[in-house]
Amino acid sequence: MALLEVNDLSTSFRTDDGVVKAVSGVSFKLDRGETLGVVGESGSGKSVTFLTVMGLVDKRNSIIAGSVNFDGHELVGAKASQLREIRGRRIGMIFQDPMTSLNPVKRIGWQLQEAVLLHNDVTKAEARKRAIDLLKEVEIPRADQRIDDYPHQFSGGMRQRVMIAMALINNPEIVIADEPTTALDVTTQAQILKLMRRLQDQHHMAIIMITHDLGVVAELSNDVLVMYGGKVVEQANVDDLFANAEMPYTWGLLGSLPRPNTNVERLDQIPGQPPSLLRPPPGCAFNPRCEYVMDVCRRELPELTQSAHGEGHFFRCHLDDATRTRIWQSKKAALSEEAA
Amino acid sequence: MGHFLIRRVFWAIFLFFVATVVTYLIFFVIPSNPAKTIAGRNADSTDVARVARFYHLNVSVWQQYWIFLWNIIRHGSLGRSYISRQSVRWLIGQEAPVTASLVFGGAVFWLSLSVPIGILSALRPRSLMDRASMTFVLIGISAHPVWIGLILSYVVGYRLHVTPIAGYCNFFTGGEAVQCSGPLQWAYHMILPWITFMVLFAALYVRLIRANVMETMSEDYVRTARAKGASERRVMVQHVLRNSMLPVVTILGMDIGLALGGALFTESIFNLPGLGAQILRSYSVFDLPVIAGVICFATMAVITFNFVVDCAYAFLDPRIRLS
Amino acid sequence: MRKKHMLSLLLLTAGVALLVAATTVGVASSATSKYSKASTAGAHKGGVLRVDQSSTDFDTVDPGLAYVTNDWAMLYTTQMLLVNFPEKNGQAGSVLYPEGATAFPTVSSNGTTYTFHIRPGLKFSDGSAVTAAAWQRAWERDLSPKMGSPYGVNDQFQKVIVGGEDFLAGKTQHIAGITAKGLTLTFHLTKPNPTFTAFLSMQWFGAVKPNMAYTTTGLNVYPSAGPYYIASRDPGKTTVLKRNPYYKGSRPANADQIIFTSNTDQDQSLLQTKAGQTDLDMSGVPPTAAASLGTPNKGQFKVGPTSCVIYALLNTARAPTNNLAVRKAINWGIDRPALLRLLGKYAGARTDQILVPGIPGYKPYKIYAFAGANVAKAKSVGGSALTSAGPLNVIHSTSAAGVAGAQELEFNLKQIGLSYNDVPTPGTVYYNTLETKGTSYNVARAGWCADYFDPFDYINVLLDGRSIQDNNNTNMAYLNAPALDTAMDKAASLSGSARAAAYAKLDLQVMQNYAPWVPYEIANDRFYVAKRVSNWIYSSYFGEPDFNALAVG
Repeated sequence: MALLEVNDLSTSFRTDDGVVKAVSGVSFKLDRGETLGVVGESGSGKSVTFLTVMGLVDKRNSIIAGSVNFDGHELVGAKASQLREIRGRRIGMIFQDPMTSLNPVKRIGWQLQEAVLLHNDVTKAEARKRAIDLLKEVEIPRADQRIDDYPHQFSGGMRQRVMIAMALINNPEIVIADEPTTALDVTTQAQILKLMRRLQDQHHMAIIMITHDLGVVAELSNDVLVMYGGKVVEQANVDDLFANAEMPYTWGLLGSLPRPNTNVERLDQIPGQPPSLLRPPPGCAFNPRCEYVMDVCRRELPELTQSAHGEGHFFRCHLDDATRTRIWQSKKAALSEEAA
Repeated sequence: MGHFLIRRVFWAIFLFFVATVVTYLIFFVIPSNPAKTIAGRNADSTDVARVARFYHLNVSVWQQYWIFLWNIIRHGSLGRSYISRQSVRWLIGQEAPVTASLVFGGAVFWLSLSVPIGILSALRPRSLMDRASMTFVLIGISAHPVWIGLILSYVVGYRLHVTPIAGYCNFFTGGEAVQCSGPLQWAYHMILPWITFMVLFAALYVRLIRANVMETMSEDYVRTARAKGASERRVMVQHVLRNSMLPVVTILGMDIGLALGGALFTESIFNLPGLGAQILRSYSVFDLPVIAGVICFATMAVITFNFVVDCAYAFLDPRIRLS
Repeated sequence: MRKKHMLSLLLLTAGVALLVAATTVGVASSATSKYSKASTAGAHKGGVLRVDQSSTDFDTVDPGLAYVTNDWAMLYTTQMLLVNFPEKNGQAGSVLYPEGATAFPTVSSNGTTYTFHIRPGLKFSDGSAVTAAAWQRAWERDLSPKMGSPYGVNDQFQKVIVGGEDFLAGKTQHIAGITAKGLTLTFHLTKPNPTFTAFLSMQWFGAVKPNMAYTTTGLNVYPSAGPYYIASRDPGKTTVLKRNPYYKGSRPANADQIIFTSNTDQDQSLLQTKAGQTDLDMSGVPPTAAASLGTPNKGQFKVGPTSCVIYALLNTARAPTNNLAVRKAINWGIDRPALLRLLGKYAGARTDQILVPGIPGYKPYKIYAFAGANVAKAKSVGGSALTSAGPLNVIHSTSAAGVAGAQELEFNLKQIGLSYNDVPTPGTVYYNTLETKGTSYNVARAGWCADYFDPFDYINVLLDGRSIQDNNNTNMAYLNAPALDTAMDKAASLSGSARAAAYAKLDLQVMQNYAPWVPYEIANDRFYVAKRVSNWIYSSYFGEPDFNALAVG
């Protein structure tokens, strides 16, 4: 049985303008020690999906449906106390912006110790020692001194290391990393990813890597969810996805991926804007930006369909198999040509 | 921090000069002739000249200003009133405690009301209490302290006999001239003025605290705390409150200065012998030394208070303290 | 008491409605006649009289510096004067009697030497004896350069007494013209001055200890010889008077203590009086409340006349008000009741003359329009002078009251065919403008209250053509009539009933033959007293009750 199994999860928010369907019908599984990449643009619902999993969306203005099963516990509709038991102890979370995700008026050590003390019956001294250990583990120099510093005394990369340390401090089974490298410069990004890989090996935890960067997914993940307009539009093993992407949005993402050793002047980009979640376009949410759009795309939402290429490979698209294969092959050829 | 202190001190000195120069200039721009006013209606020009010499009014504005400054530096003296001839420093020494009682007591009142209500209405936005506090805000912001004061003393003091209608009692006992004294009497007489202040300011603070708490609750680090498994209560106490109070401390520092303005009316209404009532009276008879002295003192008080607030802010916010 | 005059005019210009209008003269004059018998007998003794003093405090309680009416009303209870006014209502209250002196002074035949004999056995509140030196010291404290007294520089009394100017200049240790030997006090005047005895009724000239210090800031607590003494004072807050245990005179001292609470608020004080928490506000009642406090002088609401006359000045040195016919026409054309109504209920009584009730020589004349503007009469009196007159400059302060008063005057002027320029002037320069010779105003509102209860203080002080100087003029009408000046000198040299008769004639003469003002109001003071207050005795001189006479409980 999977460690985390999400079935048909939907999250909507009530706003003054109406109901926003942020996530609808998302399902996936995650096994121990695995890495799941979640890819999509801003507003694709990827962050909300996992905030919902963690029970961190405001219940007063949201409607949640579906199921989240974590190691036999149903988390949708679970009691706050039960969720708190899991949060921080069995599922850790790393957020996008290390600059704002740490409390500016509390010392680093205090914030790390809090995470320990909330879940373990230990003394403050023990918690502090644990915090220093973790800071060392995330390669913070002079950790025993820096532990008494405030967040603003750290650089962005260092703060993200602190966030990672905080997420890992209770040896969680899953770490949800919500765009952990987006706010960092490229060099730091690589260091952080390297660190996370190493830590995953050491701690044997599962990672959910939420990102808009397929490159990051390629480096870390086993499986990939591609989300668009609050829905999963393609899901597959990472190698399978890169080899046999099945739908236009994924093609677009792959096309916009920066490739080392290429001589292109300019990266491809997907034209247009992400859809409004308040008033989503009828039919396939991607249809206004899709260069292969057909009439049916504007009427009907394509079903999540099993791909011919792999057992766990699903996608949503109205294009027939032959057309998709033809387009993808020509795209792939163009991409490798550039690479050459 | 040392840098910060030095900058503050220089800023204080600068403000002091600006405030006193402006006060002096205003009084010389306004066409009035204090020497003649003091000398009276029958005075001939030698009489007026004699009064002018007595009060150093026969020299230029700048020399008068210099004498004013020199008296402060050399003798710690703010001069003496044209009207009552009392030493201005003595007057301020008498009146400042009254104003301080009013302003700080008022601040305690308005904070002890607005902090809990502000937080509660942030936790339950759009609830009945939230809406009720919004109505309260509108009344508080729109009403004039004179009106609030008169209504309070009429209803609570005169009609219901719950509090004194007006008047002041010294905090410390003793002194034959004092009709009533002691902390209990003092507080009893200050209740209505404090409530007046509370109505004036609490409303604003409820909204300010509500907005700050709501904003802080949507901060990333609050989400981090929740993700760590902290309870709502713990999130509120440990992560939201201190951060959401930072802007309140700043505004409070500024409003204490503003409150001195409110004291002007509140003191007059409740017969409190404080600086605000004094400046109103002195203004009506163009008693420049008293006005300049009180403004000078008030400037220093506001500067000092802002400094204290800055220090408090630095204490609360390590980003300021350590940079 | 120039300040009362200054202050009330400040009130006038600052827009705080001055006192309250009585729409009929009846209020003032009936109060004057009805309460003329001494009513101190049988008053309850004891208790604490609590007096509020709204929006102000005594400037100082040092008699050498005290300068304002309210100071004097308080000092009246603590001081012993050579000659004083009795605690009586109405006209009887403005008749001087010898207090510290055994009798009125003996005056030398050349009119320059005044000799007083001090009553034996008088004592200060510390038990020490009161001798002639007490009054000598009072004068010296008034005129000493070590006091910087407003008095010395103000009323020019240094010129009245021999050696006064040398003393004021610091050239001598004592005033040469005053000698005190035991109980005999002698004043040598520079020239004959029948007003001199009236001067001595001012609080500047009360007995003080012969060693009372010279000070520029004034003393708060000191022994005094009157019915009360100042037991303690917290400036800006409270002043406590206690009964002088050594006072053996006949003046009343009914309450054990009198506590003045300063800088209160008029509205609040009224509430406190109604609630019995205070006994009265010596600053009076809020003008807006006057209409709802019941019938004057029937219960707790007291209304009494002051010595203050309110008038429109006419500039006799500038066309067209330099023309007597125009000035008389304006006196006929002005709507006195309407001007009074602007100030609210019971604010004062109508008048058309210079002197006020209580001043020796006051006789009501009613020679001009009293019931309202008499346009026809005004036009016939003015004749061609009106039709040929150029525009008048009506100058007024920018306060609400100043503007309203000017509008009423302008309306009346227009009614009788005069044109005008409306000249708004900031309150701070209003009087500076009027007091400067060559000023360009034609019509302006002003007022005057007595410094001492003598017609000299109205007629000679305000209308003497020879007093006109470049600025600081008190003769703001710039009336310069040598014949009138001579008549004034003659009246001033008289005393007793001849003096009163002469001034009564002058009062009429000025208004009939010169009409330099348009007098329209004698201001009232209004008080609301607690139920327990009895023995109400009001002094129109101070515009305050005699606090030592009031009884509580």
